[in-house]
Amino acid sequence: MKNPPNANGSATGIGWRHPHYGELLERQPDLDFLEVHSENFFAEGGAALAVLERARSVYPISLHGVGLSLGSAVGVDAWHLEQLERLVKRIDPVRVSDHASFARGVFNQATVHAADLLPIPFSREALDVLCANVQRLQDRLQRRFMVENLSAYLGWKNHPEEEPVSEPDFLVELARRTGCALLVDVNNIYVNALNAQKSGTAGDPVARCRDWLDAIPAAAVGEIHLAGHCHVSDEHGDIVIDDHGSRVCEAVWQLYRHAIQRFGPVATLIEWDTDIPALEVLLDEAARARALAEQSCEPVA
Amino acid sequence: MSELARQQQALLAALLAWPSQEAEKAMAEHVGHPWARGLMAYQANGHALAVRALGASYPVLVQLLGEDSFASLARAFWHAQPPVKGDVTQWGEALPAFLAGSSQLQDEPYLPDVARVEWALHRCANAADAQADASTFPLLMERDPDRLALELAPGCALVQSVWPVASVMTAHLEANPDFAAVGRRLGEGVAETALVWREGLRACVRETWPGEAELLATLLGGQALGPALDRAVELEFNAWLPMAVHTGLLLRVKPIDAAPA
Repeated sequence: MKNPPNANGSATGIGWRHPHYGELLERQPDLDFLEVHSENFFAEGGAALAVLERARSVYPISLHGVGLSLGSAVGVDAWHLEQLERLVKRIDPVRVSDHASFARGVFNQATVHAADLLPIPFSREALDVLCANVQRLQDRLQRRFMVENLSAYLGWKNHPEEEPVSEPDFLVELARRTGCALLVDVNNIYVNALNAQKSGTAGDPVARCRDWLDAIPAAAVGEIHLAGHCHVSDEHGDIVIDDHGSRVCEAVWQLYRHAIQRFGPVATLIEWDTDIPALEVLLDEAARARALAEQSCEPVA
Repeated sequence: MSELARQQQALLAALLAWPSQEAEKAMAEHVGHPWARGLMAYQANGHALAVRALGASYPVLVQLLGEDSFASLARAFWHAQPPVKGDVTQWGEALPAFLAGSSQLQDEPYLPDVARVEWALHRCANAADAQADASTFPLLMERDPDRLALELAPGCALVQSVWPVASVMTAHLEANPDFAAVGRRLGEGVAETALVWREGLRACVRETWPGEAELLATLLGGQALGPALDRAVELEFNAWLPMAVHTGLLLRVKPIDAAPA
């Protein structure tokens, strides 16, 4: 089993996706952990699970979910919890996470799942629901869970009788009430800031992201995600999409440096989910993250 | 209903209703401006996911329909019967019935049965693993077949059709038979029963041998080997047995003890 070798205690991993299953197991590159999407391994058996178990004998595994729908007003699906619990027992992951989002709800009198990471309002009611679902999950898994901030392409109106709450304050309160950790996706913060700038609701995106990161206490952070995004311009307008389909941009690297200076050594993941390139490209991105972490991990606050 | 539930229902409706204009108007009262471009991004993501997820479960259907037609089908199915679970690989079981009900596909009446085979293969690939136990095979020589059960491979399933569904599948997955032969069988209306099973970690499909479908259907129904053999009058069991062991279809033989008095 490989262990985090970095002198400062941080760990660097990559999202391990199907095109790299064989090559990575053969080469066994110097990575501190692998991240996989939990739902891809919910099967009772079969090839995917066998491959994951092989990887588990070499690398620590971080299970990252995309389907728990933790912010759903109709609650978390008991079936989903069962599958995740079984997988956690089987793999004994180093970390388990999902998003501050919803996808499950009622449509045409039936409970459906939109298979996406849909935003939740930063309202008192949404916080209560999110906290209850995260607490239920942690009780079930008997471990600390991590919740990731979203890239959101639309925002909810503020409740007329509530003071507006910022996303970092909302997440910090979630962590305080449940004891969960926060998975800080730096690219998501930047994508949101770029879209806010495009819509004229915010100014300099890098400054906005620094403020976001500065609002998060270091002790709450369990992992950092880095990924690429794309700019889409068409007849319908301009938007930045968190597509995980390119290298991490320079602004996000800058913000990552700021984040690890603030948070100290935190496990860091390179995510790449569309137009997946050669494994070497991911390893190169991971090496850059590791080098930055080694240079910059003296906390400043 | 809580405000949060109202908000979430409004967004889900704007994503899943088709046409979506009315649902979008209803959603607009809950969200801040601008929202149209963002909503479009979520709608496009849902459609792309539908095509990708169903395409992974139904690769032969993609080949039969062509990528554009399959994408249209996937989008229509997404709106008609959206996923209910957070694991999107669980979504798509109802596609064969959806195909059967499609007026546009009435000229290709074998497609629903091909889809049934594909779903059986998809389920088979993810079934719980099981190991063969050759030490149990001598029981076949020692015991009355009425007192024996056969344990079959994970995900073992039969799909009976009035169409040559097994040939359609293997032609696309293994280039055997060739497409000309499959076309002739379709034209002649040759009926086939497809057998799906797992050989190790590999999900496989083939046409059943004469009498094999009756044998396996009886065994899969939980009955003993004796009645299964009685129904499989056309099966050459002595030839079938080594083949079934060799290809991982038969995993073990289990004695059935007499019920306690």
